Amino acid sequence: MSHETPPTPGLVSSLVRGYMPFVVAVGVAIVMQVVVRPNVDPYPAKLLLDIGINCILAVSLTMVNGFTGQFSMGHAGFMAVGGYASGAITYYTSMRVWGAGEARGGVLSGMLGGEGLPWLTVGDGLFLFSLIVGGVVAAGLGYLVGLPSLRLKGDYLAIVTLGFGEIVRVVIQQTSPVLTSAEEVRQATILQLPTHVGGSLGFSGIPYYTGLFWVYLGVCVTLIVAFRLKTSTFGRAFLSIRNDEIAAEAMGVNTTRYKVWAFVIAAFFAGIAGGLFSHTLGVGLSPEAAGFLRSFDVIIMVVLGGLGSISGAVAAAIIVTLLPEWLRGVAEYRMIIYALALILIMIFRPKGLFGVREVWDRATWAWLSRRKSGTGARGGARE
Amino acid sequence: MSEAILQARGVSKSFGGLRAVSEFSLSLPARGLHGLIGPNGAGKTTVFNLLTGVYHPSEGEISLAGESLLGLKPHKRAAAGLARTFQNIRLFAELSVLDNVRIACHLRTTHSMGSAILRLPKHRREERAIVRRSMELLEVFDLAGRASEDARNLPYGDQRRLEIARALATEPKCLLLDEPAAGMNPQEKVDLRKLIHQIRERFGVAILLIEHDMGVVMNLCERITVLNFGQTIAAGTPEHVQSDPKVIEAYLGTE
Amino acid sequence: MDQFLQTLMGALAIGSLYALIALGYTMVYGILKFINFAHSDVVVLGAWGSLVFARWAERTAGWSQTPWYLGGVVLIAAMVLCGTVGFLVERLAYKPLRRAPRINVLITAIGVSLFLQNTGQLEAVFGTRPASIPRLVGDRTIAQIGLVKIEMLDVVGLFTALSFMLGLDWLVFRTKIGRAMRAVSFNPQTAGLMGVPVDRVISFTFVLGSMLAATGGFLWALKYSQVNQPADTGWTLLGLKAFVAAVVGGIGNVRGAMLGGLAIGLLEQFGSAYLSSSLSDVYVFSLLIVVLLFRPSGILGSTAVEKV
Ligand SMILES: Nc1ncnc2c1ncn2[C@@H]1O[C@H](COP(=O)(O)OP(=O)(O)OP(=O)(O)O)[C@@H](O)[C@H]1O
Ligand SMILES: [Mg+2]
Repeated sequence: MSHETPPTPGLVSSLVRGYMPFVVAVGVAIVMQVVVRPNVDPYPAKLLLDIGINCILAVSLTMVNGFTGQFSMGHAGFMAVGGYASGAITYYTSMRVWGAGEARGGVLSGMLGGEGLPWLTVGDGLFLFSLIVGGVVAAGLGYLVGLPSLRLKGDYLAIVTLGFGEIVRVVIQQTSPVLTSAEEVRQATILQLPTHVGGSLGFSGIPYYTGLFWVYLGVCVTLIVAFRLKTSTFGRAFLSIRNDEIAAEAMGVNTTRYKVWAFVIAAFFAGIAGGLFSHTLGVGLSPEAAGFLRSFDVIIMVVLGGLGSISGAVAAAIIVTLLPEWLRGVAEYRMIIYALALILIMIFRPKGLFGVREVWDRATWAWLSRRKSGTGARGGARE
Repeated sequence: MSEAILQARGVSKSFGGLRAVSEFSLSLPARGLHGLIGPNGAGKTTVFNLLTGVYHPSEGEISLAGESLLGLKPHKRAAAGLARTFQNIRLFAELSVLDNVRIACHLRTTHSMGSAILRLPKHRREERAIVRRSMELLEVFDLAGRASEDARNLPYGDQRRLEIARALATEPKCLLLDEPAAGMNPQEKVDLRKLIHQIRERFGVAILLIEHDMGVVMNLCERITVLNFGQTIAAGTPEHVQSDPKVIEAYLGTE
Repeated sequence: MDQFLQTLMGALAIGSLYALIALGYTMVYGILKFINFAHSDVVVLGAWGSLVFARWAERTAGWSQTPWYLGGVVLIAAMVLCGTVGFLVERLAYKPLRRAPRINVLITAIGVSLFLQNTGQLEAVFGTRPASIPRLVGDRTIAQIGLVKIEMLDVVGLFTALSFMLGLDWLVFRTKIGRAMRAVSFNPQTAGLMGVPVDRVISFTFVLGSMLAATGGFLWALKYSQVNQPADTGWTLLGLKAFVAAVVGGIGNVRGAMLGGLAIGLLEQFGSAYLSSSLSDVYVFSLLIVVLLFRPSGILGSTAVEKV
């Protein structure tokens, strides 16, 4: 941390600095789609998609469990709600407008050997809109689920959020079968459509729009938001709640407000991840997506990466997605190995990979140098 | 008496059957330095918790600068100008010394979360101001050199001083210190005495101080309130309180 | 009226199972303050252990008719098995984390749960196909009120569950080890200073909880002809409901767990019978949320205000 204040930048330069990362995000997403995608096989491409979606989930959950220290175990519930909401929007809008549920244009149409329309065609616009609506619906639920966090602490909140995920799952199970003919869709009212999302059979027929472009755009935006929050006065307010709620409140941090905010923001991105997930080729969106097993997966990523560490969550999302693949050779034992690894990490590296810090913080690696040189570590730089 | 900045009238609190504080009254003038003493378990910390809103009194009235604080949450009271330290240190242990102070600056910021995410000019300006102000405070408390260390790695005395620095970062009108000298060695206690004087001069705050060390209290405070079993048994100047037979009895016991 | 009685009977039967399992959660939570997610897998072990043992006994002995005492023997075998596993899990996985943050312990518990599930799923262990336990209790109706039949099986189950609960209650409130358990639960540090062998008490608690889980699993296997494979999500859900029962009753409170178990059983059965059966999980979790919002410490729990 340098003490001298840098010269005040002009309006233009500060605007550029403010938006630049978003421009870079689009660039990264294009590279993923145009350069990476054509050069990998479908299977690794699917893995890249999974990694991206898991990154969004893990980084968003980091904002609740890592920043504010509230223990949410219902993250999959938000993801499922977002997935169903955006899936219902694209599917039923397509049915109404075009009379068929398939994708119109879209990043994927080129990949599938379709007509190869330019990128932002009507279909992709619809998809983007549905993603955002899915995120907003999930965020609304996040607000509702965040409210109990005002009264409940620790494990109690954990179990309530877990119960929330289960309720979402059961409610989705109760929905009616998907309407498959354009005729039926035209006859149904707008309010009826959301209740026809397949019940326990799952929601099939959602158009495939998700491509590396969208997923990595989502990843980058999530990362920018998470990182900028963490390094702002709001992020520090979040972290203070996790460290000591009573002290935070005494220092003027409106703990209730920020706890709910953390839930809302995290749920929004989980909803986006859900939308990306539900529009992926070869994915069956079913009520199980809201189940606790999926939530556990995300929690494991967050804790493995180090509670509060964004880069840690990303690293852990990659590891957790790939680990079962690496262990494919010992298929029968892979979950056992996975479970053992989890237990051993908790015992021998209880702060996860990076603790609350980021990979590039010097203090993260201080323990390494301490071990080598036997001297105490210097204070790590921040930011 | 000059205008009171912090005023409590007839404040009481019970835990189950235990009457931890009863009929507590206090009138702290602006820039005043008031001591709160009493044997262990007398209810001193409970008074702080009642003033800052951690607990709510079963009866009584509390006001700061003429505005009633009753029913307000602790963070609203901090915004109104009431800051405190804790008897059992409550720093943000995993965060750096600088961050501890910066968090306390948060309540005086005015930009929105959206502006932080888009890094708008207002955000940058306020963040810079926060850093400047926090470093100034750390300078005063001789902690600037350790700004990037984790709070939990500080020596005990430094942690106590960091708590005071953090409390001051909220820009309070009135500062409540709960046993700031606890665990300090004699030299540190002498320094602390000077520091508390300095704080009052420099930041213009009124200070309410809980302390077991009589040397510190008697030398520093203009007025003292003595609690025993939740009751106020004496109040007045240090000389007056020191010679009060009830106070002597409370501290030495009767046999 | 008939439907009412029938539902009540079912609610008592399932509620006592929830209560048995809830006891394990509540005892561990009372002492170590974490949700032992692996507890439901010990229940599974109890069910499958009983099943495998009963089959093996029948095969090797070649009885023409199952002897009356086999049920008891199987139950004891399952309790020994689960007790041992519970002991090992605590020693190997949880004990090294005594001073770690609670979230770590929680994750470890999830890890242990995954480990037990997936080990159980191996072909060499229990496999992935559902199976059923031999008839250990006569398939008789012992009484009939109107159209309502009272099955031998339910009576035996209820009787076993209740006697175990009464036994536990006696143990916790009337014996020396029970006093030690309550002391550790109140404050482990102080209990340690007062000479209570904390580690041994914790081990004992785990063994006890696991034995109750074994009983729950055993009764479950008897009641439902089909025992699902160890990694079936239904088991985790069963565990969660039992945990909800513990929370509703007041976590850490032994009598609360019994009360909570019965409450959940009643709610679920009556909700299913009179409202909609597909929403029974929703009732349970809604009750949880309502109880936590309005009485966060549960029905019998006491609130603790954090001292500042
Ligand atoms: N949250 C609480 N619940 C129950 N009793 C409490 C609570 N907080 C304080 N008490 C009780 O109130 C009484 C006064 O406690 P308090 O902490 O205010 O004493 P104190 O004067 O600060 O003592 P010390 O000098 O030891 O700090 C004590 O008997 C204490 O046990
Ligand atoms: Mg005190």
